[in-house]
Amino acid sequence: MNTKMMAILFASGNENKFNDLTIHRTTTSMPFAGRYRLVDFALSSFVNSGATRIGIITRNNYSSLMDHIRMGRDWDLNRKNSGIAVFPPFGLNTSKEMYKGKIEALHTILDFIEKAPEDYVILSNGNTAANIDYTKVLEKHIESGADLTILCHKAQCVNSSKRVIVGRDKKGFVNDLYSVEIPSQDLKLVSLGVYVVAKSILLEWVQQAYARGFVDFETDILFKEVKNGKLLAYEITEFAAIIDDVKTYYAESMKVLDYNIREQLFGGKNKIFTKVKDSVPTIYGDKAVVVNSLIADGCTINGTVINSILFRNVKVEDGVVIRDSIVMEDGTIMENSQLSHVITDKRVTVQSGRELKGLQTYPIVVVKNKVV
Amino acid sequence: MASDKQCVAMLLAGGQGTRLGVLTKEVAKPAVPFGGKYRIIDFTLSNTINSDIDTIGVLTQYQPFELNQYIGNGQPWDFDRLDGGAFVLPPYQTAKSGEWYKGTANAIYQNINFADRYNPEYVLILSGDHIYKMDYSKMLNSHIKNGADCTIAVLDVPIEQASRFGIMSADSNNRITEFEEKPKHPKSTKASMGIYIFTWAKLKEYLIKDEADKNSYNDFGKNIIPNMLRDGQKMYTYDFVGYWKDVGTISSLWEANMDLLDPQSGINLSDRRWIIYARNAAEPPHYVGANAKLFNSVVSEGGEIDGDIRNSIVSTGVVVEKGAVIKDSVLMPNCVIRKGAVVSHAIVGWNAEVGENCIIGEEQKGPINGEWKIAVVGPNVSIKKGDKVAAGEMIGAEGGK
Repeated sequence: MNTKMMAILFASGNENKFNDLTIHRTTTSMPFAGRYRLVDFALSSFVNSGATRIGIITRNNYSSLMDHIRMGRDWDLNRKNSGIAVFPPFGLNTSKEMYKGKIEALHTILDFIEKAPEDYVILSNGNTAANIDYTKVLEKHIESGADLTILCHKAQCVNSSKRVIVGRDKKGFVNDLYSVEIPSQDLKLVSLGVYVVAKSILLEWVQQAYARGFVDFETDILFKEVKNGKLLAYEITEFAAIIDDVKTYYAESMKVLDYNIREQLFGGKNKIFTKVKDSVPTIYGDKAVVVNSLIADGCTINGTVINSILFRNVKVEDGVVIRDSIVMEDGTIMENSQLSHVITDKRVTVQSGRELKGLQTYPIVVVKNKVV
Repeated sequence: MASDKQCVAMLLAGGQGTRLGVLTKEVAKPAVPFGGKYRIIDFTLSNTINSDIDTIGVLTQYQPFELNQYIGNGQPWDFDRLDGGAFVLPPYQTAKSGEWYKGTANAIYQNINFADRYNPEYVLILSGDHIYKMDYSKMLNSHIKNGADCTIAVLDVPIEQASRFGIMSADSNNRITEFEEKPKHPKSTKASMGIYIFTWAKLKEYLIKDEADKNSYNDFGKNIIPNMLRDGQKMYTYDFVGYWKDVGTISSLWEANMDLLDPQSGINLSDRRWIIYARNAAEPPHYVGANAKLFNSVVSEGGEIDGDIRNSIVSTGVVVEKGAVIKDSVLMPNCVIRKGAVVSHAIVGWNAEVGENCIIGEEQKGPINGEWKIAVVGPNVSIKKGDKVAAGEMIGAEGGK
């Protein structure tokens, strides 16, 4: 067996939980940390770990994802060999429906996986922001003799999204796996929905499960494999965020204002790449007051920005006060407007003198292209 | 086999740029950082692609590695083409000869084969050390319309500055009647910008003749242009109107950076119809801390800013700690300014470190004889805690001033 990895990325999931932020996009193409999309973290981690054959499985609203990735050049993925393969929704000839779960989705691309020369596969949900070195994960995986390694981190389950909790023995093998929907403040070992597995094992599992009509990779395969004792838990101690609704989106975004979190995401030698847009550097005017904020290129700032994140090409006019907010690309906040706990999607204009106020636990979302 | 191109560009990027001192000790002048996220050469490369010229030879000689690596396959400027694109052309050995580029004309002479591959009708000659936005296709149209052998882009300069340039005298049809290199008593205010379009067959003829002349400097300004003019070739000026700046000195490099902060200066980089492209550094947005003050400044990606920044250019990946004051200065990529340092009318080179409480440069009221006294901390230099660098002083990597 060789020790090369390929990667499969699931681009959809939980789109209904984003209060309109995902009307136009998949979760994977959610803008994050001022200039990125969530998919950038997954793709960059794959590439930095030498996994350059990447299949992206999409289901719906994937045009913004395609526009972002194009031929993959910005991640050095426009290769003669390997590179990106995007799989649009695949309707089986035998059924009129689109695939229901990961097992079916994987079954539709068995050929792609089988033909690849790599012997290991990374499976990843596209809703995770983390800078992961998979070469270390694979090393541990091989050394332990596990069938599959589950990446996980310690976190609270503060929202009602379905999270998978991992129990492990002293050697790090998984002895319990279950999903929760009840919010809790306790720190638990939570699965990131990212796995490393030998290709031969994955192919066998998917074929067996598909033949029996199973749908869900987690409940129908992994939960049942726990008893065989060959699932390894690999804990990520650096920052990792699972983003699956507006509340986690807002909370995890704001964490990036912390220096240590930024260092964990961007500070190492493994860079996070994204689509290059050739914006000019940001211009601060005579009246700019900016405190504890993350500011992308191409902005023009003449107002006050506190504890906030501005994406590329945002205009902040005179007298504006933006607090605890996220303003996405091409936003224009006009004179004397006040924003607090607000998320504005791309190309939103807030007209002069408007006042928008959300709550820490319930930020206001302004939909793409809207004028307030 | 390459297909024919109407016009091929040749960019002269071989000059050492000695007047930039420590900044060009290890990189060629065109590779010097500018404006927060650019290099000087980005302007010429972007102008070329924006003018629909997709084939360019970049002639390098002095410290070529940085420039080679920066240009790479030309992808950031959309020069990665199946046919044509960007080519870095250092001097090379042939069976008969092999030598350094002796002058600007000799550099083109040595690359006649490169241009000939594309069988161009016209060749555009550029230099890589000017900051400006220009549509060369308009100049080419004027060259074609005039049926010219050579067209020289000129800029109207104040008469008192004219003796610093090559000055063209032309008739009412813009046909050049006289050319003087740095004249004591200029007869016109039309200054050559070092941008030429030649009809390739004609230029080739003159390059070959010039090479045979043992007494020649092999220079466009000193030899090729005067020779063509003497022979009565059809030579025209092309009037360029807009921002243009030669950044050959520390003072002018600093001034050009400061021009980005002045909306009246005429250099507007935000125009999406004429994007200036650059190789991207893959850095996150910059972070502005709780103690930062930013006033009339430009800040690029990847920085961690917690100091007081006024009228300054802060490049990619710069760290400015709490209590540091930056005034009227240029901080080049990845430099670090420690706590309490005061930087005024200065250029801090890439990867340099200015220690705690250092004083770099002094407030300047204005230029003296046209020159600002700018303090320069060279690339990769560390200035020890509490040290002082005087106005106009330059510190290099070996501690030499």
